[in-house]
Amino acid sequence: MKFKSLFTLLAAVAITGSALAKDIELLNVSYDPTRELYVEYNAAFAKYWKAKTGDNVVIKQSHGGSGKQARSVIDGLKADVVTLALANDVSALNKVANLIPANWQERLPLGSAPYTSTIVFLVRKSSPFAGKVKDWNDLAQPGIAVITPNPKTSGGAQWNYLAAWEYGRRNYGSDEKAQEFVANIYKNVPVLDSGARGATTTFVQRQIGDVFISWENEAFLAVKEFGADKFEIVVPSVSILAQPTVSVVDKVVKKKGTEEVAKAYLEYLYSDEAQDIIGKNYYRPTSEAAKAKYAASFPKVELFTIDEAFGGWTKAAATHFADGGTFDQIYLKK
Amino acid sequence: MRTLPAAVRTALATTITAVGLTATLPAQTASTNDLDALREQIRLLDQKLRILERNQELRQETAAADAKKQPKLNVGDGRVEVVSADGANSLRLRGLVQGDARLYLDDANAAQDGFVLRRARLIFEGKFSDIFQYTIQPEFGGTVQILDANINAAFKPGFQVRVGRFKTPIGLEQLQSDPVAFFNERSVVTNLTPNRDVGIQVHGDVLTNRLNYAVGVFNGVLDGGNSPTTNLNNEGDFTVAARLFATPWANDKESKLKGLGFGIAAGTGNYKAGVPLNPYRTDGQQNFFAYRSAVGSTTVADGTATTISPQAYFYSGPLGILAEYVSSSAELTNGANSRKLTNTGFNLSVGYVLTGEESSYKGVTPNTNFSLNKGTWGAFEVVTRVAQVDIDDDAFAGGGTSLAAAGTNATEVTTYGVGLNWYLSKAIRANFDIFSNKFDFQGARPATGALSDNELAFISRIQVSF
Repeated sequence: MKFKSLFTLLAAVAITGSALAKDIELLNVSYDPTRELYVEYNAAFAKYWKAKTGDNVVIKQSHGGSGKQARSVIDGLKADVVTLALANDVSALNKVANLIPANWQERLPLGSAPYTSTIVFLVRKSSPFAGKVKDWNDLAQPGIAVITPNPKTSGGAQWNYLAAWEYGRRNYGSDEKAQEFVANIYKNVPVLDSGARGATTTFVQRQIGDVFISWENEAFLAVKEFGADKFEIVVPSVSILAQPTVSVVDKVVKKKGTEEVAKAYLEYLYSDEAQDIIGKNYYRPTSEAAKAKYAASFPKVELFTIDEAFGGWTKAAATHFADGGTFDQIYLKK
Repeated sequence: MRTLPAAVRTALATTITAVGLTATLPAQTASTNDLDALREQIRLLDQKLRILERNQELRQETAAADAKKQPKLNVGDGRVEVVSADGANSLRLRGLVQGDARLYLDDANAAQDGFVLRRARLIFEGKFSDIFQYTIQPEFGGTVQILDANINAAFKPGFQVRVGRFKTPIGLEQLQSDPVAFFNERSVVTNLTPNRDVGIQVHGDVLTNRLNYAVGVFNGVLDGGNSPTTNLNNEGDFTVAARLFATPWANDKESKLKGLGFGIAAGTGNYKAGVPLNPYRTDGQQNFFAYRSAVGSTTVADGTATTISPQAYFYSGPLGILAEYVSSSAELTNGANSRKLTNTGFNLSVGYVLTGEESSYKGVTPNTNFSLNKGTWGAFEVVTRVAQVDIDDDAFAGGGTSLAAAGTNATEVTTYGVGLNWYLSKAIRANFDIFSNKFDFQGARPATGALSDNELAFISRIQVSF
């Protein structure tokens, strides 16, 4: 009789608990190559959140060129969080639509960049240029076909562009020479995809081009999926430290009532579990433990930051990617 | 024959072979170079082709993405609509034009034969922010006026708020849209239900669309009337109107009762002099009853007025039945003669679509449009109805200060109607209706005027409604 009562009480508690569990849906608007990373991370976070609160959270993903994704959110796409390729795209949410506060980058550790990456080359082994691509200057040689996305719409492409620019400036001595150097690279670009994943498709699946200027994680994924016999990763002498950044979209989460879970979703990116997932997916982790664990996975390369080389994103974007900037000067002339 | 020493022969052979080999080498090298050049040319051509294909693919992707962002223009039989890419904002232009030919077959009304532009409306409807819908409906036929001007905030299907000028939620046939009613004129019972009024209404569909409710507060308007857009002399009192209409089996596709709806509506308010007391009209649009309005002997509202209407419809395949009963009471005064009158009426209308299309409260959509070339005729529907309005006998009590004059007004009208509706398309309908209106009087029938004979009218209409 006691057991029966106890069982009834437990069943009632369980039923009450499940009845009180909320079903929450978040939308993570991200950039092109993060699909696999966030599929794995979302499952981990949902499990963590369920254990912590009892609530069920389903995270929907949206991917595309980082600039395009930022524009979609500005135009009304109800993103609870954005995890974009570069800080400038996230800042646009504040500057253009006032969806987030101006100090958004200060709300999470490391300037709201829970992981980093860099830019490398993926060279097709069947190309006549295989073995002849060692550094940025090899991309400007006549006849070589280079694949890189459109910096107007892709965050990854902006990192590519700035890395090439800084190499040109260091090696040829001035911004004018750097512009000429980058213009020579873009003369060799036959297809401009809107995002990094589209460019990967162009290079890997459509078999166009000799070399692909790629996010490091995309290069690793291509080699893993298609084999080291087809592609070779070439690490240039110098590259840029890419810092994809994340933010809660305040106006959306306040309206939807998802502020708490959205904040937790981004904060959990800094946890040991998430940092391990990040390393596993070829993004460079920021926690010391994960850095040490995955140190061997990432090639050694001299990295510079956008602050060091270009005085920050705001200045770099205005100079290079705004209408009439250096990219327009280079590409519209093409 | 002298032979060369073996050593010499070997040396010569070696030399000749070497020379021969040397001679063929350039040719072989040349052919290898050609082959490599061809391979490279093929590789470059292959790349060019792939580049062209990929760029075309990207252009198509961009065009498809851009197309999704463009507003959509929908033009069809029954609508002209501009909708934003996300569907949250829209503007729909609709219109209604009705041209009638009226032929009176009785002696009393023969002089009224003629053509009438019954209705001519441009209707602007739309929504913004996905929640707010608006309607602006001016009438250009007859008296130019704004019929509807309202905003509906649809927070949820079950909770919506409408503000502005719109139909009072009471009469079943009155609430039905003009162009889809069975006959080209609503039945005489709609003389007893208020028409359009200015106010605020909460309404919605609940219980998974099985119950529609509406409750509103209005300036107030009496039988058959439209309230002006300004408040009337009601001493600050408002009229309250409410309606519950159930369609319990609407979601059960297999149920024979899925087209059954029934409900009740009521309205009550306090009215004073200044509120129009509208005349009651026959199917042929002739007055059969009006309150006194002569100078020095005018009947005015002076107290509470209440309307109650149980109502129902049933639609099953091509069959449609619509029925309602209305009781309209009002406290009225003419000089020292104050009385509360209760006028009642009913309407029973039946329609059957001969061509098999489904009948519904929202009308009939023909399966085919009329086309001589294709040999298609649209849809045909036969309709019939019986309706009645009974005037309270007290309206005629009080002699010279009676609320209505006995000699020139009917105390009861019973109407019978039959008709044929031809749906040439969703937008174009032709009606051919015959109405018989039989009048009863307290005393003798008037010797002259519209009521000197029972009304028998043939009214045909061509209607464009989109």
